[in-house]
Amino acid sequence: MASTHSRNGWVVWLTFAIGLLLSVSPLPQFMEILRPLWLALLLAFWSLNLPHKVGMVTAMCLGLAEDVLYGTLLGQNALILTLITFLVLSLQQRLRMFPMWQQCLVILVIFGLAQLVQLWLSALTGNRQPTLALVLPALVSALLWPWVSFGLRGLRRRYKIN
Amino acid sequence: MGVRLLVLTVLSVALMVVDARFSLLKPVRSQMSLVLMQTYWITDLPQRLYQGVASQFGSRTELVAENEKLKTENLLLQGRMQKLAALTEQNVRLRELLNSSALVNEKVEVAELIGMDPNPFTHRIIINKGERDGVVLGQPVLDARGLMGQVVELMPYTSRVLLLTDTTHSIPVQVNRNGLRAIASGTGNPERLELRHVADTADIKEGDLLVSSGLGQRFPAGYPVATVKEVIHDSGQPFAIVRAVPTAALNRSRYLLLVFSDNRTPEERANDAAQAQEAEDKQNGTAPVIPATVPKPAFVGPPAPAAVPATAAPVATPAKPATHSARPAKPAAAATPAARPATTAPATTRQREE
Repeated sequence: MASTHSRNGWVVWLTFAIGLLLSVSPLPQFMEILRPLWLALLLAFWSLNLPHKVGMVTAMCLGLAEDVLYGTLLGQNALILTLITFLVLSLQQRLRMFPMWQQCLVILVIFGLAQLVQLWLSALTGNRQPTLALVLPALVSALLWPWVSFGLRGLRRRYKIN
Repeated sequence: MGVRLLVLTVLSVALMVVDARFSLLKPVRSQMSLVLMQTYWITDLPQRLYQGVASQFGSRTELVAENEKLKTENLLLQGRMQKLAALTEQNVRLRELLNSSALVNEKVEVAELIGMDPNPFTHRIIINKGERDGVVLGQPVLDARGLMGQVVELMPYTSRVLLLTDTTHSIPVQVNRNGLRAIASGTGNPERLELRHVADTADIKEGDLLVSSGLGQRFPAGYPVATVKEVIHDSGQPFAIVRAVPTAALNRSRYLLLVFSDNRTPEERANDAAQAQEAEDKQNGTAPVIPATVPKPAFVGPPAPAAVPATAAPVATPAKPATHSARPAKPAAAATPAARPATTAPATTRQREE
């Protein structure tokens, strides 16, 4: 049993590494504002499907990595990602039964909340964004959710990750 | 699960507070960045590859044309340099007349941009030089056309640079035409700076070049910052609205210059400049009778080779002492005792008279 638990766990970490790359990859100026929350999307998927493996501690570690990459206060993105993972985990049983469009809506709400917390935190640290445009990434992420979800599900079947 | 959330939340809030208030987590962050900053490098790889391929397959005619262009540009710059030498000398002389410190030549080093900050609301870039390359916090960064910003975060092999146009950044500037001082603040628009609190009657107009004034003690003086784009006099506003465009290509430059300004005090700089001038005079044959670098008897350190020929044979070997005393590092120490008696002597005699 223990061996099946840890089977192909590296694929999960590989997706996280790719997520980190995507979250700093250069984008055209007008698209910067729409950059999806890749790490949050990946965390949402894996914590939904492998809750015994990917949880809040993983989210926290990835958040710390993101903090170092973005140059924000250590712990800011960690808090956000932990919060997202918590919300996904607490809705996990229901969320898995939902049709895709409903999942998208829930993701939109969760990510939107997280981005508002982000706004609040950056206001506390003194560099508040002037607009509410930072809710846009939540929208883009929610629109990307079906594709990310299908893709990762395929990956999971292929490598029989559990 | 709720307990775990609580613990992790408290932990991350604690981390944030510690990171904001103390420098306890700086080594941790720097160690993490050692690995994580590679992601910027990896995401920059396609661009690098493209450049490599383009340089491999550039056609001959293109290369010839580029070579021609660079040659003419070089010629132009050389021409300007000739004038600059004369102007620098004139400037040093005039400053000597004014008894003020000389302009210093800052050392620069080339750095390359490896990433932009993903947050669209801040203007920060990542460069490929870090603490191990001698970069320091607050160091000014230029590109070929003007000031770009300053280093705000150091990592072992990379550093983060805050650009002039970030909303949290301001820089003291001066109108090049008349020396009017102002503060240029970033607006969050990469093509726009705003001058704060400029009086409605101030002499500033469209097309004026703004150079750094050096008053903030952070940026070296005299580097171009921006050109004034528009000046709006609104009678309903207490101050004129002055908008300027940065001269540096803030969102296009790939190669940047890090400025290493010297940390000598103004007195040391003045001494060094005076010494350099003296050495030059000596070289030209118009040697003053008493050199300023009178060696202190107790001082038998490195400056001995510079000081000994200066006193023993001031005219015979002009080249060597010139090069030695022009070096800024040590002779300054030898020069200070020489300069001091001139200023302190009257004071002491006066005291004696009293």
